[in-house]
Amino acid sequence: MLSRVAESLYWMSRYMERADGILRMLRINYASSQDDIQDFSWKPVLRIFSYLDEDGAAAIAPNSRAVLQYMVTDRENANSVLNVVTRARENARSVQDHITKELWQCLNEYYHTIRDGQVLKGLHADDPVSTLDVLIRQGLLYYGITDVTMARGEGYAFINIGKFLERGVQSADILGIKFSDLDFARMDTTYWKYLLLSISGYELYLKTYRSGFDARNVLELVVLNEDFPRSVLYSVRQLQKYFERLKIDRNKEAFQKLDFLIGRFHSRIKYSTVDSILRQGIHAYLNGVREDLLEMGNAFNQYYFAYA
Amino acid sequence: MQTTELLSSYLTDSAAWDEMYADSNVRQQYRCVLEFLEQMSVEELNKKEELAKKMFMSQGITFTVYSSGEGIEKIFPFDIIPRIITASEWRYIETGIRQRLKALNLFLKDVYNSQFILKDGVVPTDMIYSCPHFLREMIGFPVPYDIYVHVAGIDLIRDHDGTFYILEDNLRTPSGVSYMLENREITKRLFPDLIPRNNVRTVTEYPDILHRNLVALSPRQTANPTIVLLTPGIYNSAYFEHTTLARLMGIEVVEGRDLVVDNHRVFMRTTAGLQQVDVIYRRVDDEFLDPLVFRPDSILGVAGIMSAYRKGNVAIVNACGNGVADDKAIYAYVPAMIRYYLNEEPILKNVPTYQLDNREHREYVFANMNGMVVKKTNGSGGYGMLMGHSASEEEIGRYKTEILKDPRQYIAQPIINLSSAPCYMQGRLKPRRVDLRPYALFGPDGVQIVPGGLTRVALREGSLVVNSSQGGGSKDTWVLAS
Repeated sequence: MLSRVAESLYWMSRYMERADGILRMLRINYASSQDDIQDFSWKPVLRIFSYLDEDGAAAIAPNSRAVLQYMVTDRENANSVLNVVTRARENARSVQDHITKELWQCLNEYYHTIRDGQVLKGLHADDPVSTLDVLIRQGLLYYGITDVTMARGEGYAFINIGKFLERGVQSADILGIKFSDLDFARMDTTYWKYLLLSISGYELYLKTYRSGFDARNVLELVVLNEDFPRSVLYSVRQLQKYFERLKIDRNKEAFQKLDFLIGRFHSRIKYSTVDSILRQGIHAYLNGVREDLLEMGNAFNQYYFAYA
Repeated sequence: MQTTELLSSYLTDSAAWDEMYADSNVRQQYRCVLEFLEQMSVEELNKKEELAKKMFMSQGITFTVYSSGEGIEKIFPFDIIPRIITASEWRYIETGIRQRLKALNLFLKDVYNSQFILKDGVVPTDMIYSCPHFLREMIGFPVPYDIYVHVAGIDLIRDHDGTFYILEDNLRTPSGVSYMLENREITKRLFPDLIPRNNVRTVTEYPDILHRNLVALSPRQTANPTIVLLTPGIYNSAYFEHTTLARLMGIEVVEGRDLVVDNHRVFMRTTAGLQQVDVIYRRVDDEFLDPLVFRPDSILGVAGIMSAYRKGNVAIVNACGNGVADDKAIYAYVPAMIRYYLNEEPILKNVPTYQLDNREHREYVFANMNGMVVKKTNGSGGYGMLMGHSASEEEIGRYKTEILKDPRQYIAQPIINLSSAPCYMQGRLKPRRVDLRPYALFGPDGVQIVPGGLTRVALREGSLVVNSSQGGGSKDTWVLAS
């Protein structure tokens, strides 16, 4: 496979994962903004998912609709869903002969949907949740079509590598922000409930932990639970699984470099416990996670995408 | 004439050949389609038109217009009514194109090798050496199987009496074939069962034939040669076509930056290291192909690719330097080429062409500007063209001054009244002018022409210019089996 093609598939997938993450965050945070929570603020969302500085974030944070508009359809916001989907589609466009026609059409329709005036109108005037749901469903269609139609070759491996790398980054980011500015021992049930809902971990949490909401359990679920599809551990396991498929004799050096990085990261997560994380400090720990993921991304650039 | 609502404003121009009507009778080949259309309501037809647009859009068969820093996706206009060609018309076109392509290919071989045709004075030597597309780099280099023109798009038009004329030979990187394929797919969806009922010949084998020809050109004797399609990239207006063809042939689309030349061999950069490339179907123009040989500022090409080509380590399709044969000034000599190389009379006629560096011709043209179309010899896409009948005195005067600066750059042709075909316009059928571009594939086994082609249509009333850059659209083109 061409290095350029592998890179485009990888980025198509990363951007789609990011779009999904942003939309889910927005949907639940909007719901939470409608609930009567005193501590609710859009600032953490803006901090994770946009490049706004403190003042910029403070300016729009009090207005839910303005935040949604900024995060979904704003053309100036490099990380708006519109721009992220556009980049996913541009990557897909340049590798149309490596993805199925169905997948290309799905991305293309997503792109046209989000650029349509209806989305902006929906966020502005109607029930924003319906609009977000339309977009989230388009993303789910993308996942389904990838699963059902894409051949299980090298391209599929790069798609999944991009997806799980991005997911790992997102889960670490979400935790980092949610745990950062507050003394989390004091946070109430609603706070954790909305965090879990935003990453579809609420039901699993209830089934796993019987004793109500506790920050330690949330941390364990999002980092260490091996069955939770958004946990860091699950993400790295999937990453490792799809990476194994790239093993061929012709490119031994590249494989060994990445294999080392992924294996080391996997071990770090696997042999962590909530206690060890707290001892190290949540922040230091999550920063380590982010740095490791970044290093892997750079290694892919260097060894597989032919950056000199 | 029947006066159903659909046809109520179908007013044909008596000076032009109409594809559907002969006097007041509907031609046999259009009857079945017309009956079918007449059973439909305007609402249904409008819905079909809407559906066609939607299908082009969702498949991304679009080109991008950039304005105020943002890309806007547009589709090339598509008219839902097919253009129909009878079996006997097609036989005539097919033999004519086959003959012409053989002669043009022999001409290229000759002009880059022995140059008999120049020595015998059939084509003037200065005509060749003054052509910017004549490449000295190609002289004395034996291309595989002596084939230069692997893919040709030959533009045909019909005069008022229905005679076919060759308007242009496109022998470099002719585009539009994906529209031939996609338009057919869309028609299948718009009008279920209509295609089999009319006994329309299929066009789907085009990519298979092309692929077979490409495989046959591989310099390495291997069961699985690496074949790539070289594109200028996603910003090229034909990018959709590049990916469609690659997908249909199962070959890789590459950009210049994906390729590298080492020791006169071409490789592509893959996730598993370098992989040798055997055949390149390039959709990049000659002058951008190799910055070491042609334009040094080109980033679309690959440094060293020409040396690999000349060493015979990679096949390039179409061959380089073909522009010397489809130059508009050389065009006038094609009938002579056919007689010279094949000892045959040309089957398809040329439009009479005046060379403006010939004084007699120029004086005649200047005296009759109103009935002439003047073109640049190396222009394309309808740019820089003067239509004498619709230009003002002032425009004509200005154009004359331009011509006198460098008359070799211009030719003139009498204006041919293109034939008209029915188009669907807001609930009515209306006649609009069309041309026809069939695609011919030349491989080691000979010339094959897929029964069909691209019909371009001038959607503006009375317009004779069908180029997409000038407001033209396209139609599905049916060739009937019997």
